[in-house]
Amino acid sequence: MKLGVTAEQDELRDSVRRFLAERAPLSRARELMETDDGIDRAVWEQAGSQLGLQGLAIPEEYGGAGFTFAEQAIVLEELGAALYGGPYLASAVLAATALLASPDEDARHDLLPGIASGQTIATLAFTEDDGSWDPSTARASAAPAGDGWQLDGHKSFVLDGGTAGLILVLAVADGLPSLFAVEAGTPGLARIVLPTLDQTRKLARLELDGVPARLIGSPGDAATVMDRVLDVAAIALAAEQLGGAQRTLDMAVQYAGVRHQFGRPIGSFQALKHRMADLLLEVESLRSAVKYATAAVAEGSQEVPVLASLIKAYASETYFHVAAENIQIHGGIGFTWEHDAHLYFKRAKSSELLFGDASYHRDRLADRIKL
Amino acid sequence: MELDLGPEVAEFRAELRDWIASQAPPGLAGLFDWNMVMTAGGRRGGQLARAMAHPAYAEWTARLLERRLICPQWPEEFGGQGMDAVRLAVLNEEFHRARVPRVNRGMGESLVGPSIIVHATPEQRAHFLPRIISGEDVYCQGFSEPNHGSDLAAVETRGVISGDEIVITGQKVWTSGAARANRMFLLCRTDTRAEKHAGLSYVLIDFTAPGVTYRPVKQMSGAAEFCEDFLDAVRAPLFNVIGGINNGWRVAMTTLGHERGGRATVAHLGYEREFWELVETARKRGKTSDPQIRQRLAWAYTQVELMRFSGLRTLAQVASGRPPGPEASVAKLFWSEYHKRLGEIAMAIEGADGLLRPEGDGYPVTPWQGVFLSSRAGTIYSGTSEIQRNIIGERALGLPKEQRIVG
Repeated sequence: MKLGVTAEQDELRDSVRRFLAERAPLSRARELMETDDGIDRAVWEQAGSQLGLQGLAIPEEYGGAGFTFAEQAIVLEELGAALYGGPYLASAVLAATALLASPDEDARHDLLPGIASGQTIATLAFTEDDGSWDPSTARASAAPAGDGWQLDGHKSFVLDGGTAGLILVLAVADGLPSLFAVEAGTPGLARIVLPTLDQTRKLARLELDGVPARLIGSPGDAATVMDRVLDVAAIALAAEQLGGAQRTLDMAVQYAGVRHQFGRPIGSFQALKHRMADLLLEVESLRSAVKYATAAVAEGSQEVPVLASLIKAYASETYFHVAAENIQIHGGIGFTWEHDAHLYFKRAKSSELLFGDASYHRDRLADRIKL
Repeated sequence: MELDLGPEVAEFRAELRDWIASQAPPGLAGLFDWNMVMTAGGRRGGQLARAMAHPAYAEWTARLLERRLICPQWPEEFGGQGMDAVRLAVLNEEFHRARVPRVNRGMGESLVGPSIIVHATPEQRAHFLPRIISGEDVYCQGFSEPNHGSDLAAVETRGVISGDEIVITGQKVWTSGAARANRMFLLCRTDTRAEKHAGLSYVLIDFTAPGVTYRPVKQMSGAAEFCEDFLDAVRAPLFNVIGGINNGWRVAMTTLGHERGGRATVAHLGYEREFWELVETARKRGKTSDPQIRQRLAWAYTQVELMRFSGLRTLAQVASGRPPGPEASVAKLFWSEYHKRLGEIAMAIEGADGLLRPEGDGYPVTPWQGVFLSSRAGTIYSGTSEIQRNIIGERALGLPKEQRIVG
């Protein structure tokens, strides 16, 4: 296992950070928050053409750059720190991982190159109105139609479901969980963008009414695919959460150093100093965990399922804790709309809820270590 | 997953593994569970003492001595082999794997040695260091006093120069291992008019000398691992003052920077073992299906794994020639706060049985009661959690220091 950081990886981090600072500052995030799709198409296109971000961890044979998850985690961390609202998690992580995990080589050759270049925005629709993150509870159904299939039912909480051009849908075919590809604009597909607590992350609800769809792999393949996707997604999200937690901690520390009350900087008071020390302990522990877990994914380790639940729970609580304390440390202004603290706070809570919260994952962890 | 430390270190590991396999006396591993965390009130202290008195242990010690594997991180000229942190980490891992003990020389190795190596004269080094390696000198620490714990620099034990001796009078407390020690390293005040940090001297005394008395302090766990010590005009030659008169604070604060990280990848192993023992207890009591207990055990598992990940990260960092990162500065705060909560989880699993103790003289406790009680001290000794947070806040985060009250 390699845990060291290469010079190349440092350069990658620097260029992504600079790119986001220039093209996706928080002021831009606030503007995009108010839109339905939350995406600056030019920035998304540049992320692909200039930095190859979307295809970073997609193998070269499918049009990607052939790097590993270790590099992708660096990108995710920077995106999380910048509160980037574009469809990276949905397209470059969820959809790409689903295709790579399925046995359908044709689908990979047909669909991954577009995702890798960023020209295709893809997402994965598996949850339904009941909000269950357990793929085995999916009810949307698939029935044979002519040479292909058609889908009926609904999906909700779909990341960037309103903007995606390609939607991978989990539906039951022949009584088995199966994965289908649906293109935007297909008759029978209705999409509504949902108002979200965290306006920097867009979610949609889909209505499927006899929607023609392409089967990926065979009926029943989706069970293993979903397990894999959700494990990788948890670790990917943890990398994002780490970026956000670090940025929020920096914000709190910076403020505590310059805000003066009672004749001295508020950071010199132990009540605040000690709480920030505890936050550092959590953020650095999370950093160690993200390093390990991303190496595990990159190296195909058997530890990934256990690590996924462990890290989702820990990252969720850490990010939320830091973001919450950041508001508190800022006092009155921390509670205002104008200040950026609430943006991180809402992203932290939403990231916690997405794909199952800390309690849910601790329970899965308990199962996976066979308590 | 194991850390890739490069081919040279891999070769070192392989050679070491072979050496241990051929040189460890038969039965050594079976004498005692050498890898166990010694946390609770010396509950297996008697067993450990018997294991260390066994001829196989003496044989092993002799072989380690010969191979310079006692205090290996010390420079060669002082009896070690200048082992770097990465190889030290591998050494610890391999001994752990083979279930054989590292023969470490306690505070003589970890605290006194570095102070002497950095600050002593060549004559002092030549005299004191070999006696630590050989085990002839066993040190206990004379730092804390009843009135000065966290504020160590304010110690009041007096040292008065008298001819070619220093005469020490005062009181120390929280001295662990006093009964096994024949030496004490202490801080005393030799200049009462200087600023508090500037008036201290670091002295090595004969703990068996006239004027030294000590008695155990009984702890809430029923054990008496620490002593209070009374020094009544105890005399030591000036030769035993390390680093010069009034330079004691600097000497006391010495660590050998390059050895940080040596225990990084084994530090969590005792807690890992302890976790699975608690799981076993929970299973026997049918508590693993209780949702609350599952959540708390999953939390505990996570904390131990986080220690493991941070240790690997530190070692990888050190192996690439860089100092450990911020994750190393939070390590003590992390494990000590964890261990208190682990003790609380254990008591939840014990349930009503936690109300009762075993029969017997003294204050015998069950193993989990022992963990529960003794873990309360972890956030107090070796720098309280509050002091740790001050240091982390100021050094790792750069937050402004507090205004000190002068006078």
